[in-house]
Amino acid sequence: MPKLRHIAIAAEDPEAMAEFYKKAFDFVEVGRPNGVLADGVFLSDGTLNMAILKFKTDQLGKGMDFRGIHHFGVLVEDVEEFSKKLESLGAEHYIDQGQGGHQAGYFEKKFYGPERVLFDIAEHGWAGAEPLPASIKEAAE
Amino acid sequence: MAKLRHIAIAAKDPDAMAEFYKKAFDFKEVRKTDGPLAYGYHLSDGTIDLAILRFKTDQIGKGLDYTGLHHFGILVEDVEEVARKLEGLGGKHYMDQGGDRIGGFEVKFYGPEGVLFDVAEHPWTGTEPLPVEVKEAAD
Repeated sequence: MPKLRHIAIAAEDPEAMAEFYKKAFDFVEVGRPNGVLADGVFLSDGTLNMAILKFKTDQLGKGMDFRGIHHFGVLVEDVEEFSKKLESLGAEHYIDQGQGGHQAGYFEKKFYGPERVLFDIAEHGWAGAEPLPASIKEAAE
Repeated sequence: MAKLRHIAIAAKDPDAMAEFYKKAFDFKEVRKTDGPLAYGYHLSDGTIDLAILRFKTDQIGKGLDYTGLHHFGILVEDVEEVARKLEGLGGKHYMDQGGDRIGGFEVKFYGPEGVLFDVAEHPWTGTEPLPVEVKEAAD
């Protein structure tokens, strides 16, 4: 089964927000993304990647001053297979993102699901996120 | 370490949205809810609770028409201890939710920039408990 492994928060001050969650819950900093879409801090609870980001584009259509939880990410065995499935269910492909930089091998596709809720799917996971259970990965290979 | 175990989405049509995520990712429906705060569904990927809810009050100040990601929830060893810590860090207590709620008592806080999250000691239905070593260390 695919696994929820990423949650992204839109912040005005990612640094201050990340400090709060590090102190509050002992989440560990695992990266400092600085890309075309957003800058910020990646935290991990050992299972999920929690991205606290200042976005550079209005991905949600809610304006650049939107603050709050922005999107989530699902780790899947096969991005291409799931892309086809999502589109057949009515999801709208938004953008592909990935490869190189601080997280080589990372690739994701962003989709709008029902009611324009944005989510990512990825095969290789986000920094600090737990991989899929071995049995699922083996079964897919 | 505390664990992220709950993600809530605000939806106009939770029935349709829940069907989408069940079909798309094989997430399992573990509970249907219709309480004072919201109507909707709790899905599970075996680890995380994904709640798809039509809220009945405006908890995040974005209006009742808001649709999108709404709040997240963190499973902790001791809610009271964490609540004190959060207030010490500037978190603002919003409300407690408990009583006959299935899946346990939780406390809702606003963190920096008004981002809403829950803390709970009892796993959300269908989610993984805290790792044993964490629980043992806390006992």
